[in-house]
Amino acid sequence: MLIPRRVKHRKQHHPSRSGASKGGTAVSFGDFGIQALEPAYVTNRQIEAARIAMTRYIKRGGKVWINIYPDRPLTKKPAETRMGSGKGSPEWWIANVKPGRVMFEISGVTEAIANEAMRLAIHKLPMKCRVVKREEA
Amino acid sequence: MAEISINGVSRTEFGKGASRRARRDGLVPAVIYGHGAKPAHIALPAKELGLALKTTNVLLDVVVEGKTELTLPKAIVRHAIKGTLEHVDLVIVRRGERVVVDVPIHTSGEYDRDGILEHNSTSIEIETEATSIPAFLALDLTGLVAGSSLYAGDVVLPAGVVLTSDPRMVVVHLSVRSSHDDLETAAPAATDAAATDAAAPAGDAAPAADKKD
Repeated sequence: MLIPRRVKHRKQHHPSRSGASKGGTAVSFGDFGIQALEPAYVTNRQIEAARIAMTRYIKRGGKVWINIYPDRPLTKKPAETRMGSGKGSPEWWIANVKPGRVMFEISGVTEAIANEAMRLAIHKLPMKCRVVKREEA
Repeated sequence: MAEISINGVSRTEFGKGASRRARRDGLVPAVIYGHGAKPAHIALPAKELGLALKTTNVLLDVVVEGKTELTLPKAIVRHAIKGTLEHVDLVIVRRGERVVVDVPIHTSGEYDRDGILEHNSTSIEIETEATSIPAFLALDLTGLVAGSSLYAGDVVLPAGVVLTSDPRMVVVHLSVRSSHDDLETAAPAATDAAATDAAAPAGDAAPAADKKD
């Protein structure tokens, strides 16, 4: 799973979920991509599950790009704990994804295979997504 | 290169409220600048502009209050999901003037099907006359073998066109197809490396490692 090697601050505030993606809204590397239609925190486990779903379906052939990185820690207080006593422990690593962001890209496979691989991957992600094609510049 | 004439209106009110009102009325806020002229804030019809901008580097004859300016799209802002036009920057050009623009590359030809074609750059920057910008540049992939690349310098340019991008910039790369096992083990290997690094003295990147309370 993707995880930062070191971070400046172990515990951070929750990242902002408002607004749309400022960049990375087009397919840049591959031929097809998965574009987020809703804001969400995508954990490193979900990214890994989506990657595995795609690579298992395309078998030998094709290349997968991951355009997001889970660099934000989220904390959680243990169950049945009284309030106070400071911030909880880091529990998840998440990527803050905003609508429009192309999260995964794929190339080297036919459109039908790419669509099915991405459909399987979308099921592993916590938000509504769609498959987009690379546009001619 | 086609020239398209569009009638625009001058904008008198500014800001996001006014811009949103304009968009609701089927207009796209735009600005025209260049050649030392004072920037002109205008609004253009969204449908006509959208159709015109389907052509890359289209020359637009913008008519505002009887005055015509020959312009070239410099920056186009689209909605992240809907793809609708939000704002357009137009730069004034003169006939015969040389301009630097990004031109898309179209690939053709039979290459080694054992490799995976990666488009590292979908366009390259060239200097050409404003009225004769090529719609696209052709790149022949015939004979490209897995593991090799084609560069900006390999693109055949029409007469009068000068390459301004780095000639060594990779345009397409045909990577070697990896096996299924390689793909499966790629990320876990990265994870192991990260986990060992996270256990280093900094020890910052280990969530759930120090549960307390």
